[in-house]
Amino acid sequence: MPYFGSEETVKELKRALSNPNVQADRLRYKNYITRVIRYMTQGLDVSSLFMDMVKASATVDIVQKKLVYLYMCTYASDKPDLALLAINTLRKDCADPNPMVRGLALRNMCNFRMPGITEYIEQPIVAGLRDKASYVRRVAVMGCAKMHSLQPNIEIDASIVNELYALLRDPDPVVVVNCLRALEEILKDEGGVVINKPIAHHLLNRMKDLDSWGQSEVLTFLLRYRPRSDDELFDILSLLDAFLQSAHAHVAVATLRLFLHLATAHPAVQADALQHTSGALLTMCGSISRELRFAGLCHVQQVMRSQPGLFAPHYKRFFCAYSEPSYIKFRKMEILVELVNDENVTLVLEELRSYCTDVSPELAQAAIAAIGRIARTYSEKCLDILTGLLALKQEHITSAVIQTFRDLVWFCPQSTAAVCQTVEACVDCPQDSEAKQALLWLLGEHGEQISSAPYVLEVYIDGLKTELSSSVKMELLTAAVKMFLCRPAETQDMLGRLLHHCIEEESDMCVRDRALLYHRLLQQGVEQTRKVVMGPKSDPSMSVLTGHQQEPVSQWVSNFNTLGPLSAPDLCIQTPLISSPEQPSNNAEEELLPVSKDVSPSIPKDDQEELNLYLGPPLSHESFERTWLDLEVLHRETLSYTRPRTTPDTLQAALQLVKIQTLAFTPGDTLPWKAYLYTRGNRTLILAELLQEDPDSEGRLVVSVKQQPPNQHALRGFVSILSSVLQTLNVDS
Amino acid sequence: MIGGLFIYNHKGEVLISRVYRDDIGRNAVDAFRVNVIHARQQVRSPVNNIARTSFFHVKRSNIWLAAVTKQNVNAAMVFEFLYKMCDVMTAYFGKISEENIKNNFVLIYELLDEILDFGYPQNSETGALKTFITQQGIKSQVYTKEEQSQITSQVTGQIGWRREGIKYRRNELFLDVLESVNLLMSPQGQVLSAHVSGRVVMKSYLSGMPECKFGMNDKIVIDKQGKGATTDDSGKSVPCRSGKQSIAIDDCTFHQCVRLSKFDSERSISFIPPDGEYELMRYRTTKDIILPFRVIPLVREVGRTKLEVKVVIKSNFKPSLLAQKIEVHIPTPLNTSGVQVICMKGKAKYKASENAIVWKIKRMAGMKESQISAEIELLPTNDKKKWARPPISMNFEVPFAPSGLKVRYLKVFEPKLNYSDHDVIKWVRYIGRSGIYETRC
Repeated sequence: MPYFGSEETVKELKRALSNPNVQADRLRYKNYITRVIRYMTQGLDVSSLFMDMVKASATVDIVQKKLVYLYMCTYASDKPDLALLAINTLRKDCADPNPMVRGLALRNMCNFRMPGITEYIEQPIVAGLRDKASYVRRVAVMGCAKMHSLQPNIEIDASIVNELYALLRDPDPVVVVNCLRALEEILKDEGGVVINKPIAHHLLNRMKDLDSWGQSEVLTFLLRYRPRSDDELFDILSLLDAFLQSAHAHVAVATLRLFLHLATAHPAVQADALQHTSGALLTMCGSISRELRFAGLCHVQQVMRSQPGLFAPHYKRFFCAYSEPSYIKFRKMEILVELVNDENVTLVLEELRSYCTDVSPELAQAAIAAIGRIARTYSEKCLDILTGLLALKQEHITSAVIQTFRDLVWFCPQSTAAVCQTVEACVDCPQDSEAKQALLWLLGEHGEQISSAPYVLEVYIDGLKTELSSSVKMELLTAAVKMFLCRPAETQDMLGRLLHHCIEEESDMCVRDRALLYHRLLQQGVEQTRKVVMGPKSDPSMSVLTGHQQEPVSQWVSNFNTLGPLSAPDLCIQTPLISSPEQPSNNAEEELLPVSKDVSPSIPKDDQEELNLYLGPPLSHESFERTWLDLEVLHRETLSYTRPRTTPDTLQAALQLVKIQTLAFTPGDTLPWKAYLYTRGNRTLILAELLQEDPDSEGRLVVSVKQQPPNQHALRGFVSILSSVLQTLNVDS
Repeated sequence: MIGGLFIYNHKGEVLISRVYRDDIGRNAVDAFRVNVIHARQQVRSPVNNIARTSFFHVKRSNIWLAAVTKQNVNAAMVFEFLYKMCDVMTAYFGKISEENIKNNFVLIYELLDEILDFGYPQNSETGALKTFITQQGIKSQVYTKEEQSQITSQVTGQIGWRREGIKYRRNELFLDVLESVNLLMSPQGQVLSAHVSGRVVMKSYLSGMPECKFGMNDKIVIDKQGKGATTDDSGKSVPCRSGKQSIAIDDCTFHQCVRLSKFDSERSISFIPPDGEYELMRYRTTKDIILPFRVIPLVREVGRTKLEVKVVIKSNFKPSLLAQKIEVHIPTPLNTSGVQVICMKGKAKYKASENAIVWKIKRMAGMKESQISAEIELLPTNDKKKWARPPISMNFEVPFAPSGLKVRYLKVFEPKLNYSDHDVIKWVRYIGRSGIYETRC
């Protein structure tokens, strides 16, 4: 970067540009101009040369003109008074007999970002819209959009809008697409360009003349159009059918999106379109360029949300190659996990196993977590593999395996015995705190099945002074108390030491308080403690919630073929592992690049936006009550099933998973049973009441929903989410 | 739409920067450099979101191309646009390298000016662009009336990809079938996955508005016609392998000039070709792929400080054909201290910087076998981590299509001008290259 001596450089250039000898020699003159642009590119401020550059614009050399215009467009906003000097030359060029010169001048004139330019460019733009050369018309149409963006607050000129609508019939395809783009920007506040029946049909007929960019954009604009009848709908679909096979992946995917959107009422057509496009998507996943491959994989994941089986026969296409970048490998693994079935499970597991020894520890851990996910259905095979991995005695692998074990035991209790046996054999203690916590949890929860458990705990208790992480200490306390409840004789002594140390010597208040809590609890008697500390050992119903069900297409289609799928939050595979202290840099980086979390900021202009529920600040009981009384019931529905028979905790946790907060509910089995819930989403606050009056008989569960401000779309989304949660809970219990 | 386009070299210095929209500030250039190019980690995604601005990037050798936007755009489109941009630049000045970009600095700005307007793609066909880009700096007066009307007719014509009134003294056609074959093989020699992605690239220098018809040994067509019909070829195409008669194409896509309706109904490929070079079709096959090479690895660990590697490669095609540019990468552990290599053919060298033995063979005929054996000395380490054994990868070029695709005919009809199919000189060439060709060991 030529920051040093930049002033010298600028002065030198200024001298050279104003030297009449240089000006006379065309080649040298142009060379200097090129140097100015080069410095500009590198970030040097060359705005002081503006006057000399304006002079250079009076030339017949088109290349030199282009360079000077580029310069002027960059600095016009800094030097508006000087830029006006150039306007005259440009206006003269707008009347040149050569359409290329006309177009060039008009385009650059519109690119000047300075106040007051509008009065100069309006007339040439209007003239350009009627130019006989399509090149100039293209530029003029874009010019309308630029003019509007210069003065966004000014009233929209109806005559220009009408002219643009008329130009949608232009013979030149690029002019047509440019018109759509310009209208969209000008009419942004009024909801964008209107696509009525004649326009939609006209666009559909012109589709094949457009270049791929145009096709892709027109397909997006057509999303706004609603066919009047089924006949019309099917006519449109058959017209578009050929584009599902387009050579350009983005056109094929855009067509698919339109298909899915139009055929919302015809699930069979949707399924057919997905089937039809699966080939194109697979090609995208196997394309030579890795970025497109990545985009393809992300879209495959979206499609799999409603058609998990669609890609199952092609599972081998999702095997990772060694040289692929890790972002592709992560996606491929996520897909592989979803594609597993009885036939391919052996091969997929073998494949995943080979990733477990990858050089990148992150990737290896993700592969282990993936095996853990598969283990929920095919536990035996996976446990063999995971046990085998422990024998490698690699720290990062051991750590990931133990964490996987913990999750596995919680989700599928039938694997407990095997896991306990393995943990027993695993003498090497993990070093990172995540894994330590997982191991301690396993020891505490299933201590009666692991014969050496107390001795392992003792090692930790003896090493307490060197332990830094407070969360490990808390886990250790809980584990020790649990262990004491099932094997008191072996544990009593060490528990005493542990509590003593934590209460007397610990400086971390959280740990101290926890220790005091257990201490007082134990004073109440062993039975009391058991009641408090021992909970259910596993909760298979949770796996239904976290596992993926077949979702309706409408859940994801609104986001399809945008940035959304590419930055969708990573599914369960890597999230728990990424925060492990082995990669301390990850968090820092995520703050800089909040790519995986915050996608929505740029999206919300779409009406059909996806419902994103979030909890927001907690609502107090009083304010809930006040709001509840103020509002009318907007929606009441009787569900076809009774209240879930699960524990209140499970209900609360399940609802929280989908971002619905439980405010209060009737305890136990008393009737009438009531629950009050609230959530926020799409800028509205949603309040709901669940009510069941009679036991099991006719009186089903009644949901009443109130909302502020009303938003039908969000309301419908909320009710469907809520009912699916309740249904799942009912099935499990 | 795209708010701006930046090109950086590997150090993160800006070579080209063009901002199209106001919402992209001047600091966006630096944001990408700091957060992505200079970031210490590996690239985590080709799309990065920095301060509510999305950066899409692709890398060509050591050059970064980044497109910036604030809108929620169609990601696949932006990437394809960047590839197209690369293609256009390659068509103008060859390989995309720092030196070439610096030398063609003015040209690139000219291109960027034409290709995008206000962030919207306008015109990206190399052929059509040549009319607007004037590298020599022609004076505006020099433009003749005829050239002017050419510009107009080209951009208003019914067929966007071809202008009227093209004349050649010799009508010629070049047809290249370019395939890249991808393989993932287990140490036991089991094919884990294999696919061929191929392209049919055509260079046409034909007068007038010719109508072309292209035929290949597509399984669906052949089955329809019955097996006897394949012999009536005039023999212009040079099928280079015997063996199976037809191939099953999993998926194919065409240049916009191909009439898709005809393809859907009759499976015939007919079109009016653009002038010059373009990609007629792209396809993918996964069944019955001829794998040009088999790699048989044998790794033996002798104690803790020595490793014996033996790799045999077998060529699996007609003995009369020659494979070229064969390169085998045999990875070695990180703690390698010395390597002794013996190979029967070609040259082999241990490259410490790549942690691999690179074995190069210039040419190799079909149905041959060659082997390399190496003794790798290891430094004793206290690292308990086992060596992960990366796969052996291979590069090569063979003069046939590994998918088995054959061109059966390419007919040209031009009803208005009087030249017939026989007057057109046609050239057909098959090139099979390795894509990701890996064998685990």
